[in-house]
Amino acid sequence: MPEVILKNLPFLLMGLRLTAEIAFVSIIGGTVLGVLVGVVRYFRVPVLAQVADIYIIFVRGTPLLVVLFICYFGFPTLLGYQASAYYAAVLGFILFIAAYLAEDMRAGLRTVRPGLVQAALATGLARAQVIRLVVLPIALRNVIPTFFNQYVRLFKFTSVASVIGVNELTGSAMLVNGREFAPIPIIGFIALTYLVCCFVISMVGRLLYSRLAVRA
Amino acid sequence: MGAFRFLSAVSAMVAIVAATVAATAQTSQGTIVKIKERGKLLAGVKLDTPPFGFLDDKNEPAGFDIDLVRKVGARIGVPVELVKVTSPTRIPMLVSGNVDLVAASMTHTRERDRVIDFSITYYTGGQSLLVAKASTINGVKDLAGKQVGVQQGTTLEKNIAAAAPTAKVVAFRDYNSAWLALAQGRVEALTGSLNILQGFMKDNQNFKIVGDLFSVEPFGIGIRQGDSDLRDEINVVLQDLWTSGEYTMLYRKWFNADPTIPIEVWP
Amino acid sequence: MSYKLDWAPIWNNRDLIIEGFVTTVELSALGLVLALAIGVIVGTAGSTNSRILRSGSAAYVELMRNTPLLVHMYIWYVALAFLQLPPFMCAVFGLALYSGAYVAEIVRSGIGAVPQGQRLVALATGLTSAQALLLVVYPQALRMVTPSLASICSQLIKDSSLASVITVAELTYQASAIEGQTFRTFEVYITISLLYLLMVTIVTYGLLLVPGARDDLEQRVSDA
Repeated sequence: MPEVILKNLPFLLMGLRLTAEIAFVSIIGGTVLGVLVGVVRYFRVPVLAQVADIYIIFVRGTPLLVVLFICYFGFPTLLGYQASAYYAAVLGFILFIAAYLAEDMRAGLRTVRPGLVQAALATGLARAQVIRLVVLPIALRNVIPTFFNQYVRLFKFTSVASVIGVNELTGSAMLVNGREFAPIPIIGFIALTYLVCCFVISMVGRLLYSRLAVRA
Repeated sequence: MGAFRFLSAVSAMVAIVAATVAATAQTSQGTIVKIKERGKLLAGVKLDTPPFGFLDDKNEPAGFDIDLVRKVGARIGVPVELVKVTSPTRIPMLVSGNVDLVAASMTHTRERDRVIDFSITYYTGGQSLLVAKASTINGVKDLAGKQVGVQQGTTLEKNIAAAAPTAKVVAFRDYNSAWLALAQGRVEALTGSLNILQGFMKDNQNFKIVGDLFSVEPFGIGIRQGDSDLRDEINVVLQDLWTSGEYTMLYRKWFNADPTIPIEVWP
Repeated sequence: MSYKLDWAPIWNNRDLIIEGFVTTVELSALGLVLALAIGVIVGTAGSTNSRILRSGSAAYVELMRNTPLLVHMYIWYVALAFLQLPPFMCAVFGLALYSGAYVAEIVRSGIGAVPQGQRLVALATGLTSAQALLLVVYPQALRMVTPSLASICSQLIKDSSLASVITVAELTYQASAIEGQTFRTFEVYITISLLYLLMVTIVTYGLLLVPGARDDLEQRVSDA
């Protein structure tokens, strides 16, 4: 490994740790929000579904960088609250990824056969119970591959947080490069790191799917 | 109708909580009281602008601005938490309350004074040009048609556009990227405060500073509009540093020169 | 809430916004054309019988897709700075190589979805391999993958905002410039996100003009 990488490895690894943290929190938060919004839209809950529609149209048409700027600069100034770059980034990522996960969730809910729902209702379960006990478990298992696609995408997108000053992997690397002037090994190193991490996340997704998916 | 009722209950709860949070008005407690309650001073500093705020060889924050805010924190009696800012982010961070003060090589301008408040001037710099040693640029006039790097969202951007209207001004999100661009030949000159340019030049002898200073940049520490108690405290700290000689020591440490303009001291 | 919304400074700087908008369009168009070219070549290679071509295609896709777009741009702008490519071209190449990988996957699955019989019959009528591909397989594949292509195109337009980081004066860059002078953070970023939304909507519905693409367009437009 090139000397410049070895010398700065602790700093870069701290950046990687921050990347993993941000990705993890955003994945959890985004999944919860995304599933909720997807369910709300699928069942057309009055009022909430319309709000969700606007949210999804807006966020899916906005670049991630702009979403981060709005969360970091726009909201705090407008609403007068405190948020560090880290929390603004996490909020931005959650809002961003949830919009995409919500659509995938809606598609996943559609894959559940109506016959199954009717059968469940026929056994005397209430509508809410049917959703909770029958539809959601099946839909969630089936959307695992698409969800993990989005998770990989999110992991890559954490690099954009460096633009608002978060010292995750890309940010740390560029800071080090500003002092060391060795862009090829440094950027090569982080590209490789992202590659390996994305690969691992995809593998986890594939493993989960093969174990949990509901066969038709 | 079970699902519907459950979801409407949840949304009602969310609405109530949101309304409560929104209705909680910002209390007008003195900032220093708030800082003491919180137990730490949040100071916005740069980490890519030597010698004001940068990362040293051990990747630790260091610099003139950082030393100054540590003195302020010591006076208030709380530890200082350094929050990284860049020129585009420093004022929004302050206005939104993410930091209590900003010491980030920030020029005190009238336009900025409309949005935030400033301490007394703690450093006076000027804008200058940094070019490669072999460059033929000798001053602002030679910039015609050439690419000049600057940091986005600074007074420097406006100044260079006024001083060299035919130059192509390229704005970067932070000094790090701007400096890198100069080193890689993407821009032919970098404009910034004299001492910032000197900071970059310290470890890189292949560059030189050219031309006269073409603007005067008085630096001030930024505080939120109306935070008088914090501003007064900062001003007193700065004056005490001057009268005790500590300011001159710090100045020599970071700029290798003696301060030419004294800090105003009130009796 | 002591912040008052003030849209006037945004309107006063509208010429900057328009400039940025135009640059975004140029950047996206050039990036898209290149991405499509790369994607068709790599995707077709991925659907051939040659193992070398297939692994090459897969390697390209995995390598390009799993590298964040920002890192792609840094590679061209910083790591390969000795090439002295103008920032605009760095952004174009970054976008093209990255999105090209996604296009390649779409093209590969599109070609795969065209029944084998089509190609065999085309060959039987005397067309060469290349003609069979061009005149029979591609058009059918295209019709099937149009929704996915639309979503890649929208994604590319949004991704172009990262070019602002390597100093391309597109829409987001101009927005930051305006924000730096007027401090109207909320207003300026909401304005440009509406503009991006406009561009994306035009592209998505513009593709309805492709014959046969209308079916299920909205449901199948999911992002890459």
